[in-house]
Amino acid sequence: MSVGLDVPFLVKTFFVALSGVPIALLITIVSLLIALPLGFLLALSRINRIPVISQLARVYVSFVRGTPVIVQIFIIFTSVPLLLAPIFEKYHVKTSIYDINPIWYAFIVFSLNTTAILIEVFRSAISTVSKGQLEAAYSVGLNNVQAFRRILIPQILVVALPNICTATVNLIKATSLGYALSLREITLKAQVAANVGYNFIEAYIDIFLVYLILCSLVETLFKLYEKRLRKYKAAAA
Amino acid sequence: MIGGKVMLEIKNIHKSFGKNEILKGVDLQIDRGDVVVILGPSGSGKTTLLRCINFLERADQGQAIFGDIHVNLKSATKKQIHQIRQRIAFVFQNYNLFTNKTVLENVTEGLIIGRKVPKADANELGQQALAKVGLADKLNSYPSELSGGQQQRVGIARAIALNPDIILFDEPTSALDPELVGEVLTVMKNIAKEGTTMLVVTHEMSFAKDVANRVIFMDGGVIVEENSPKEIFSRPKEERTQHFLRRVIPEDFIYNI
Repeated sequence: MSVGLDVPFLVKTFFVALSGVPIALLITIVSLLIALPLGFLLALSRINRIPVISQLARVYVSFVRGTPVIVQIFIIFTSVPLLLAPIFEKYHVKTSIYDINPIWYAFIVFSLNTTAILIEVFRSAISTVSKGQLEAAYSVGLNNVQAFRRILIPQILVVALPNICTATVNLIKATSLGYALSLREITLKAQVAANVGYNFIEAYIDIFLVYLILCSLVETLFKLYEKRLRKYKAAAA
Repeated sequence: MIGGKVMLEIKNIHKSFGKNEILKGVDLQIDRGDVVVILGPSGSGKTTLLRCINFLERADQGQAIFGDIHVNLKSATKKQIHQIRQRIAFVFQNYNLFTNKTVLENVTEGLIIGRKVPKADANELGQQALAKVGLADKLNSYPSELSGGQQQRVGIARAIALNPDIILFDEPTSALDPELVGEVLTVMKNIAKEGTTMLVVTHEMSFAKDVANRVIFMDGGVIVEENSPKEIFSRPKEERTQHFLRRVIPEDFIYNI
């Protein structure tokens, strides 16, 4: 056996790993689309101490933060079919529960997970915006929705954006756990390719590089967006 | 705009925070063109009174008559609150300019979004209002680039651009460095001269003396005394008013007409 990397395999597998990017991004985007509004609303419920919802949100955050994502995946993957079985039976759904595309489980787990993280991100960001901003918006005749959309959310986003970026990058990396659901994402695809000739080092290097490139790109995009949003703050500095 | 002489009438307003009763039944009438100054020690309920009128605080009891709008201050509906806020403008102690908006956007926001004024017209009105407060050259600055005095002048421009029936001022100069108080008071004097109806909570005795046509002294959640500035500064009737004025007015402050 020759020592050293199988370079042609390394290059070939890089593109195999790269072909898993759409799935990883799809999970990331769907999770963010669900988690951003939900996390924001639950953060508001925590700050305004809305009874019941606020307490539930707190317990929820501590549950999600206190357990590994892989365990959350296993729990959702095993419990959702059990919960769905009676419903499917009742409404005579023909589809077998075990034929459900595993990506649905990924959507559920990563949305729930990201929501918990974003509740905390928004909670600290919202508290940095003074109550006077909302009062001033009311006083010039804006209603609640207008005040939030035009005055508060832009200010909250600027503060929250670095943490939302971290959460997004963590989410992209966490989608690698989708291999436990046999999701054909970056990690699984490269590993399957490596199984044939036991070229695991090459495959892992490829996986490493794909995530690195993907996450760096996302971070750059966030930085650019933040720079645009911060315009009004940069003026003072 | 309201047709009659009376702009705003408040009856028997009560407000508590927990067990602490801040307003204990205040009545107030403001006529068109009035400049009414409310004086009083801290904790007397002046600011709370102002905030209840604009529903930034919800009163526990009381009525407001605002032209054709009669409302119960405790149970006013969202629609009534919106209607009333369309007619009242508020100038805050801490300016509360929208930090993410430019000076001009701060002034036009309420016009464009709150009152559906077309953008071009709103920009025109905004520039006029900013010219009145001497900030025509700062249209595109952000609040963080302005001094406190300039920020408060934008706050006043934001209020007058809405062409409200009445402007409420909540200690507009209290957060300012002493050397910046003058520029804000000058602007306030100018808009008072134009006939703007104003209700002002302030500690600036000179403003009360020179600009107000009526001075209200509040203490302990009630109006203790109400009179022309001349009467209240030279011959305060109530002991509490005398005591307060002795404390806040320097010896050499002489009221002269």
